[in-house]
Amino acid sequence: MRGQTTIYMPIGLLGFEHVKRYVLLSHPDEAPFLWLQMLDDPSLAFLCVSPLHVSPEYQPDISPADVESLQLTKPDDALIVSIVTLHPSGQPTVNLKGPVIINRHTLIGKQVVPSNAADYASQHPLPVAS
Amino acid sequence: MLVLARKINESIVIDGRIVVKIVRLDGDVVKLGISAPADVPVHRREVYEEIQRSNQQALINPHVVVPKLLRENVMPLAMPSSASDQKKPSSEPTLPAKIQSEDTNPRNNQ
Repeated sequence: MRGQTTIYMPIGLLGFEHVKRYVLLSHPDEAPFLWLQMLDDPSLAFLCVSPLHVSPEYQPDISPADVESLQLTKPDDALIVSIVTLHPSGQPTVNLKGPVIINRHTLIGKQVVPSNAADYASQHPLPVAS
Repeated sequence: MLVLARKINESIVIDGRIVVKIVRLDGDVVKLGISAPADVPVHRREVYEEIQRSNQQALINPHVVVPKLLRENVMPLAMPSSASDQKKPSSEPTLPAKIQSEDTNPRNNQ
């Protein structure tokens, strides 16, 4: 996806269940990062990146209930992004424990906890240029 | 907090639409089966709180400068030191064709 796309998250993110509407923003200068910006408050956003850029072998086990609620019929239907935390001092980290899955066709998204979440960190170090 | 005693295979009903059943008692581990509508997410509490905290820390104003990702020094996945359950890593693809773990909601026909 390029530019700006409105995403609907029926149950929001964990801890932000009341926020359902987001805009997925991408800019070539910021690639491969994307922003998930709150539609109703553009000053608030989550920096995201595909987890495969960080860990090519990342394999979250998405539960059948989540696959069904997102109406995913094949792996290509899913855009998976992980939320990045820019810590005030220190290395940025990425949440591999709770990926955000977006159906590319319906533009409906959900933050899921994969069955193998125990294998991943919510603050996995993100290698960036200093 | 409401405290109710249940024996194995007994259940409780929450808000008339969420059912929690005691599926197995295994030493000090209680296995719960939860039936809930799709709009009611259910998570282990400590995992929910960890991700909630991580989300809260991650929220920022999108005008910040985005870092430059290094792709050469990709860090290996680190196994956490204290996993709350004993599942092994699965080699199944991202979209499993069958139920991945026995922790998914069992039906009431056991």
